[in-house]
Amino acid sequence: MDMTYIQGILMLAGINLIAVLGLCLLTGFTGLFSFGHAGFMAIGAYIGALMTVPPSTMPGSIGGLGLPFIFGILAGGAAAGIVSWFIGRITLNLKGDYFCIATLGFGEATRLILNNVQTFGGARGWPGVPQYSTVLTVFVVDVIAVLFLANLVKSRHGRNMIAVREEELAAQIAGVDVFRYKMIALIVSAVYAGVAGVLFGHYMTFIQPKMFSMTKSTELTIIVIFGGLGSISGSVLGALVLTALPELLRAFDIWRLVFYGAAVIVIMISRPKGLMGGMELSPAGIRKIRAERRARLALKEEAAREAASGGRS
Amino acid sequence: MRMRALLCSLLIAAVALVGCAGGQKVDTIKVGWFGALTGDQAVWGENELNTVKMLFEEYNAKGGIEVGGKKYKLEVIGYDNKGDAQEAVNVTKRLTGQDKVVAILGPNASGNAIPIAPILEAAKVPDIATVATNPKVTVMDGKVKPYNFRVCFIDPYQGAVAAGYAFDRLGARKAAILYDVSDDYSQGLREFFKASFTKKGGQIVADESFNAGDVDFRPQLAKIKAANPDVIFMPYFFKEVALSANQARELGITQVLLGGDGWPSEQLISMGGKAVEGCYFVNHLDYADPAVADYKARYKAKYGKDTELNGFLVHDAVLMLVDALKRAGKVDGEAVAKALTTTDIQGITGRIKIGADTHNPEGKDAAILKIVNGQYVFQEKYAAN
Amino acid sequence: MNQLLQQLVNGLSIGSVYALMAVGYSLVYSIMNFSNFAHGGVIMLGAYFGFFGLTLLKLPFAAAFILASVGTAVLATLIERVAYKPLRDRKAPFLYFIISAMGASILLENVVIATIGPTFRTYPEIFAREPIALGSLAIGRLDLIMFFVSAFCLACLILFIDKTRIGKAIQASAYNMKACALMGVNTDLVVLIVFALGGFLAGIAGVFFGMKYTVYPQIGNITTKSFIAAVFGGLGSLPGAVIGSVLLGVIETLVAGYLSSQFRDLIAFVILIGVLIVRPTGIMGKTAEDKA
Repeated sequence: MDMTYIQGILMLAGINLIAVLGLCLLTGFTGLFSFGHAGFMAIGAYIGALMTVPPSTMPGSIGGLGLPFIFGILAGGAAAGIVSWFIGRITLNLKGDYFCIATLGFGEATRLILNNVQTFGGARGWPGVPQYSTVLTVFVVDVIAVLFLANLVKSRHGRNMIAVREEELAAQIAGVDVFRYKMIALIVSAVYAGVAGVLFGHYMTFIQPKMFSMTKSTELTIIVIFGGLGSISGSVLGALVLTALPELLRAFDIWRLVFYGAAVIVIMISRPKGLMGGMELSPAGIRKIRAERRARLALKEEAAREAASGGRS
Repeated sequence: MRMRALLCSLLIAAVALVGCAGGQKVDTIKVGWFGALTGDQAVWGENELNTVKMLFEEYNAKGGIEVGGKKYKLEVIGYDNKGDAQEAVNVTKRLTGQDKVVAILGPNASGNAIPIAPILEAAKVPDIATVATNPKVTVMDGKVKPYNFRVCFIDPYQGAVAAGYAFDRLGARKAAILYDVSDDYSQGLREFFKASFTKKGGQIVADESFNAGDVDFRPQLAKIKAANPDVIFMPYFFKEVALSANQARELGITQVLLGGDGWPSEQLISMGGKAVEGCYFVNHLDYADPAVADYKARYKAKYGKDTELNGFLVHDAVLMLVDALKRAGKVDGEAVAKALTTTDIQGITGRIKIGADTHNPEGKDAAILKIVNGQYVFQEKYAAN
Repeated sequence: MNQLLQQLVNGLSIGSVYALMAVGYSLVYSIMNFSNFAHGGVIMLGAYFGFFGLTLLKLPFAAAFILASVGTAVLATLIERVAYKPLRDRKAPFLYFIISAMGASILLENVVIATIGPTFRTYPEIFAREPIALGSLAIGRLDLIMFFVSAFCLACLILFIDKTRIGKAIQASAYNMKACALMGVNTDLVVLIVFALGGFLAGIAGVFFGMKYTVYPQIGNITTKSFIAAVFGGLGSLPGAVIGSVLLGVIETLVAGYLSSQFRDLIAFVILIGVLIVRPTGIMGKTAEDKA
């Protein structure tokens, strides 16, 4: 096996992971379902490129500010966050599929605008983005993203978000500012998606509105659900498995997307909570899983004992 | 349980892949190909891969090709990238890193050919794109990319040819454009057509667009009809061309329609029928040219259907590669890339002389074809001035 | 003036294509409370069934039509059994249904690519392409036939739901599935019937779509538009789906015709979101409590 290929897949998985973690908060912890996060990725990718691409020297080439990568990452994330605040103001009162369709509209609208704006190359894309994304940068951003999210989820805010997901009405009655928590989740997820977009653009060295289509948004959401709602380690696992899956299935040629589709259904119906639904791969999480298994075993034994005693009498 | 079964099958797949990569024979030259085998571009991808396979089989049946005094067989490793840029990067890494190919043929989309350049450079593997017509595929900021080549002419040229032909030969002074705003190829042609046509003194009276996946163009066409142009330029692919042509005729639009190299296909005639009768398009070659007849017949005999346009171009890409391999004298990507820069061969789509500072085939005239009685009738070779 | 009339005709015709697809969505939504994204795949297969019925089996048009509709009805129930029933039994949240539906839709599209192939296919010409001319107004024959057939099917559907016992059971289940089951309604059967009905409509939509726009594996993508139309009209409401579709078709056409075709979808989305702000459940949506 060759390293550049494996490395490439790992980096893509790492980049996807950042966006997935954001969605994990939005979908997994507040129950909102987005079809438009590719739009935030696009915003991040274009603003990030604007920061880092060297100023234009030739007519016809698209120039930027030529700043170091860190400014690109920060600006891309911030831009996506600011846009999400506006979007949130308008759409967060919508429920279920109505929110879905509003985010879908946002994602498609972003792509449409980028297609029409010739300053950034329109549909023909923006080549010449510096290749700044390395295994190290992606890994570092991944670690920061996981740590921040894990702390957020464990905090009071995280518990309030879960309350919103489980029973919105009850949470509201108990004094949780539902709108505010939905907004926080949306902004955090948008910033994550924006950062992922920046890294993606600087990995591909070329960005095109086509890359941020609705398919990309749904792919991200599929990973979140696949990994398990409300589980950070599930998202990590999901991003790794589902980014690598189409590559692993290459041997099946034109049948590979058939298998991909089938795999998604099989996971949904056989593991209704996703790979790691509600569980975490941390010492505390493992203890919890063990305790549950012990309880289940005890129940089974009891049932068996009862059945046996029933047979005797 | 089912979960475990799935993981098992994944593992098996992974092992199978490692196995594939292991068995390398000394006497074969591995050539990569990638393009869309799934998704809406799959028609062309399938056609390209089939052509490459057929040509390689033919070479191998004759005992292979001679490089540096040694006979080699040719083997193609073809991957699907769904027409997706991210997958293009993945498969290029796989072809160069894991499969260790000496060169790559394809892809057909510019958006897929542009992001693979840094990988090719790092791996020192040349790529010959088939119908990727964006200038930035081979030249970026005035610098030629050392490992990117192509076998087709480029968008500015094609746009200028279409505009010149419309203005000079068809006598059009007012043109309308309908284009796919989400497609890079369509936007490129529209931009260069518009520039050339207005430069010649013509006027663009309507400039309308649609989005990928649209099937109904009547709102835009009704608007175009009201603008009353002399000619309507439709720079997109044949499925949309056939649909929009039919709908234009339904609305009573009788003007001549003009298109680019996205038009030619067997299906344009079957779908478009009478609607595209009498219309013109810019093409890479003349289908009735005796030079292409042999390839067309061989393809039809082997696969039972007609070849698409991409087949002709990938055919010449194969000729280019074999020629470069022979001249390089060794199976090495860097040497092949060097040999490619001095390519000067006769392909079935015309003479291919690669420009050293553009990596494009230079002076390749465009062919103007007209649809008459459901046939593509060659009008003339036309060069933009 | 003439152009405006022509644009309205165009808009109505586009809207009626959306409507045929949107009704299937809304029907399933009304009872299952999730958007069945596999619906697009079912429509696509309907187009193929009709196509092969006409060309391979050389069936007369009506027979091919029925073959396609029955075929897709069976397919839709099959998908329900495989991809949704296990979730239903487990009372999984709606997100899982949506993901499962997306998996099914990816599966269907790619099965077709792998077996039938990616090429586009053209229906044999059944109705003359020449439009009916009213002055300078052009009205497609197929558009007219489609309009009447879909109106007829929708009327039948609404009658069926309003007047028959099964229809009443569907209505009751849409209102409250649990309570219905307690009252002795076989809700499992009701769900199957709803999917069969949705599938039947998908078959009709597929055949018409194929005749009008050719057949290819990505037909399903266009159903995104009909999903939007269904949301616009209010999910779960059949008249809402029809109204939403017609409105979306007309708005799109007018925007493209008079404002900007480049920004057509953008403006359409802005209007959609505007409507949702004023009416958060669409024009005629049931004001359901949160379903998540």
